[in-house]
Amino acid sequence: MKNIKIIVFVLIMGLISGGFLVIVNNWTKEKIRKNMEFKIKSAILDSFSIEYLKDNIENVFSKNVEEVKMDTLSYYKTKNGEIGFIFSGSGLWGPINGVISLESDKKTIRRIVIIHQEETPGLGGRITEEEFLNKFKGKIILPEIRMVPPGKAEKENEVDSITGATGTSKAFEKILNQTINKYMKILGG
Amino acid sequence: MIRFKKILYTRSFRIFITGLWRDNPIFCMVLGICSSLAVTNRIENAITMGIGVTFVLIATEIIISSLRNYIPVRVRMITYMTVISTFVIVVDRILKAYLPKISEALGPYVGLIITNCILMGRAEAFSINHTLKESIIDAISCGLGYTYILLLMSVIRELLGFGTLFGYKVMGANYENCIAMTIAPGAFFLLSIYLWIFRTILKRTEN
Repeated sequence: MKNIKIIVFVLIMGLISGGFLVIVNNWTKEKIRKNMEFKIKSAILDSFSIEYLKDNIENVFSKNVEEVKMDTLSYYKTKNGEIGFIFSGSGLWGPINGVISLESDKKTIRRIVIIHQEETPGLGGRITEEEFLNKFKGKIILPEIRMVPPGKAEKENEVDSITGATGTSKAFEKILNQTINKYMKILGG
Repeated sequence: MIRFKKILYTRSFRIFITGLWRDNPIFCMVLGICSSLAVTNRIENAITMGIGVTFVLIATEIIISSLRNYIPVRVRMITYMTVISTFVIVVDRILKAYLPKISEALGPYVGLIITNCILMGRAEAFSINHTLKESIIDAISCGLGYTYILLLMSVIRELLGFGTLFGYKVMGANYENCIAMTIAPGAFFLLSIYLWIFRTILKRTEN
């Protein structure tokens, strides 16, 4: 008898909390999807340095950026011939993804924007800071990007890594190079 | 004045003060250490984590305390876990949908509230055998007790580790950032120094 009471209690509890979560999920799903879409589109526009407002992002995006699908990959193109694509991979602690844009010569980095990261706050987490991302500006992606110890960057494909975050820097280098290799094949670079 | 003195001696007030000082979750019960080490390298992280934990703690203690006469003893742990994780998921979804900026800043910390032992500890030690009103007071006081220790730690860590407070530079240009303070091992040292100071004061005042 006692066991039955326990089973009934656990079942009811599971049903109520499960049902509650389903309701919350349905209620927030659409909003979360929109937020994600906004985040990706704003990152792409940011990487091309195109200005937008929260209300007109759809218009600005469709007017200025063209999505090109090739094989299984897709990349983004502006009227000036600048190219941008999404990169993603695993960092030190969790996934890192973002957008990298290239000048129309298809080998000089324009800008990198991070969409999501879960690195150590204050150490690897600093990959989102402009100060770090600006170091990539004007660098050449061929033959590959190399992250070197802070202050040692000399060649045009070398970038200073973050002090105290070697793991994140190495992972970031790997993610960028893998993505670039993949895209260089279809871009014919 | 007399009314104020009366409040000081009520049961509710004693519960409130106990959570803040004598039974403080961090330096007395030594619960919630993992999160206090992980998130205290920036003041804003510490504050948001404190608010999150306090909210989930209040919600959990309300549910557990109102159901305390119906929860079978043998499954009470599962009940705590279910209630806590449900609330944490709800907080996470709502933040993602309505406050995407804050949700992004918190990142994985929201999910980490589930593993905060203060929630489980207070449910088992307090709300399972106390009234609703007392449980709410206990939740608020433990939440605040947790938050102010996080704040104390994060002020020192951010100042020494980054030379900033709330993101603003306060240390001089020549200041060399102390990287040890930004990572968990530095927090261990700081936490033990705090434990030492607070426990010494606690012992002095009790005698």
